[in-house]
Amino acid sequence: MSENKQHIEKLTAKLYDSLTKQVPDIYLNGDKQHRIYGNLNLSFAYIEGESMIMAIKDLAVSSGSACTSASLEPSYVLKALGVDEELAHTSIRFGIGKFTTEEEIDFAIKTILNSIEKLRSLSPLWEMAQEGIDLKSIQWETH
Amino acid sequence: MAYSEKLLDHYNNPQNVGSLDKKQKNVGTGLVGAPACGDVMKLQIEVNDEGTIDKACFKTFGCGSAIASSSLVTELIKGKTLEDAQKIKNTDIAKELSLPPVKIHCSVLAEDAIKAAITDYQNKQSENNE
Repeated sequence: MSENKQHIEKLTAKLYDSLTKQVPDIYLNGDKQHRIYGNLNLSFAYIEGESMIMAIKDLAVSSGSACTSASLEPSYVLKALGVDEELAHTSIRFGIGKFTTEEEIDFAIKTILNSIEKLRSLSPLWEMAQEGIDLKSIQWETH
Repeated sequence: MAYSEKLLDHYNNPQNVGSLDKKQKNVGTGLVGAPACGDVMKLQIEVNDEGTIDKACFKTFGCGSAIASSSLVTELIKGKTLEDAQKIKNTDIAKELSLPPVKIHCSVLAEDAIKAAITDYQNKQSENNE
């Protein structure tokens, strides 16, 4: 059991560290220490969750949290965790288990980084953030 | 989510992604939606002296349907007069992409984006004439 735990923790850390070191504005949802090992719930700012899932289609992941994976609503779990509403739709849940291999993690890292680049180049929010605009200050026109 | 081939094509090869200079007099910018809703579209048009849309480009924060809808819209409005572009309805977009019912709102937002871009362009023309 402890071998599984070590294996899973190592791969989870690798995924998290590789992504956050190479790309800005990725946030971990929930406490870093007090969480079930193998669960990585990340918010990729300026990229909507479903478009991310489509971009990383070779990886089985879900948006929001497990309980809301079939729904389009942002997760009430993430909301309770204090995730900002601007980030509510940008979260992806990765699950790593005892059968996950390091090669798969390396593949995942590469795939995710490519997707982030592609989707941020498509994102008006990323563009505005790069221009130094505070997204919270904007009066959004909604229905 | 089962998406149509056309939708997937627009998602994988989005058309006219980018930005125009919003300070230019003949550029209209429409920014609709909200991050808290998970959908934001920025649509820009460059209008020539004849009142025809010469260039159109977009950037979208949203799901596959939102990206596809806005990409399609840039193709639909290019070469049209402002009057004709105003006539584009969300149902045209939804039909072309075979949007699932739960994603129809993406086409509604895309239609709003067209109107917002045109309104912005027209406001700029009347500002300059004052």
